[in-house]
Amino acid sequence: MPSPGKPAKRPVTVVTGFLGSGKTTLLSRVLLDSAMSDTAVLVNEFGKVGLDHHLLRRAEEKTVLLGHGCVCCTTRDDLVEALLGLLDEEGRGEIPPLKRIVVETTGLADPAPILFTVFSHPVLQHHYRVDRVICTVDAVNGRLHLDRNPESTKQIAAADVVVLTKTDVSEASPIDALHARISGINPSARILEAPFGAVDPDELFGDGAVDPSPSGLRPFDPIELGDGQHVSQTHSTSLTFDGPVDWTAFGTWFSMLLHARGEDVLRVKGLLDVGGSGPVLLNGVQHVIHPPDHLEEWPDEDRRSRIVFITRGIRAEEIVDSLETFSGLTGAKPQPLEANLRV
Amino acid sequence: MAQAHWTDRYVEDRARAAGPGVDPTEYQRDRRRDRAHRAAVTNEVLGYYGLRVKDWAGSKYLLSDGKGNTEIVQDLGSLWPAAERILGRPLDPLDPALRERMLDGALAR
Repeated sequence: MPSPGKPAKRPVTVVTGFLGSGKTTLLSRVLLDSAMSDTAVLVNEFGKVGLDHHLLRRAEEKTVLLGHGCVCCTTRDDLVEALLGLLDEEGRGEIPPLKRIVVETTGLADPAPILFTVFSHPVLQHHYRVDRVICTVDAVNGRLHLDRNPESTKQIAAADVVVLTKTDVSEASPIDALHARISGINPSARILEAPFGAVDPDELFGDGAVDPSPSGLRPFDPIELGDGQHVSQTHSTSLTFDGPVDWTAFGTWFSMLLHARGEDVLRVKGLLDVGGSGPVLLNGVQHVIHPPDHLEEWPDEDRRSRIVFITRGIRAEEIVDSLETFSGLTGAKPQPLEANLRV
Repeated sequence: MAQAHWTDRYVEDRARAAGPGVDPTEYQRDRRRDRAHRAAVTNEVLGYYGLRVKDWAGSKYLLSDGKGNTEIVQDLGSLWPAAERILGRPLDPLDPALRERMLDGALAR
């Protein structure tokens, strides 16, 4: 959200997803669109699938573990180098002003370090912002990945947009089941289908200003999880508050939670009524919290807080009970929302 | 100067959004009020663990346990690890024992 007096930061989009889930196919299709010509793409390796794009750069994943050795709070040195290099080229006029940067991760990569790198680097944080995390899920093998690899659950939890690929070769009913399963893990994510890797770049990237997903409280039918046992470790908790929340007190509670249980808080996303003219946009992946945006106004008529926590091994009741206990400090009581919601 | 912790961004952002030419004492007043409120809220929680923070020169906080253990912390990002070092265990807001003590505390008031 650009605000007066601040130069617009270049949006960084992270594309994650399992090996063979169609990240590169999706990118190569999207990049054909002329609207994407001022988008730089950082890939881990120049693959066999010919990604042909004049702003393609290689950034081989080099992770540097910092301080206390928590995996999500690591800096990707390769990314620092590549992003600084792009700024340099742009400054010298060798490349056009960058409209967007897309970072493609390897299949097993955790997106959190990419976010951490952009938010915490002393130079990068002023020139770039993480716009959204896109996760590709293969409609044919997605269920298998989810069953076998906890990493894929983490990737979906971290995503703002989930793209179902290969829907052209899959039957309809597994696709429906996968939709339900993905919403069960991350009710805040927007799900798009990309048959043959084709998806409208506008739908995928929006205008780049803010995540275009509907920020209204849009309850949809509670989802029956067909395959409950595999997601039983992952819980999503959707809640609102009965009034404005004291931002300082909420920050105290949430920073405490992240310190004690951060590895099990896969995601938080929401709009928080802190008593101002607009809400605070809260968005975090594990320990890595986007700089909270205090919005000037609410995106729609509904001015209630709505927030989703995606946790591993922490039950919804535990979150609600804890917030209830802290309500003397935050000034508002949590109210669980029955239906899932999108933020 | 290290990057501001996400819980401290509000005041910084407000100051930056206001732009140059704004009375700087207003920002200082805002910031002082914010820090005092943060210390008060944090102490409500830390009290249940026998810990306490005090604003230190308006830029850091002193965390102590009343038994002579003291640590200087920058923000909430470094406060919880420091508190864990002093206590020897993490302070978990989901801990049912904390919940019980906080509810008792609220009733006693």
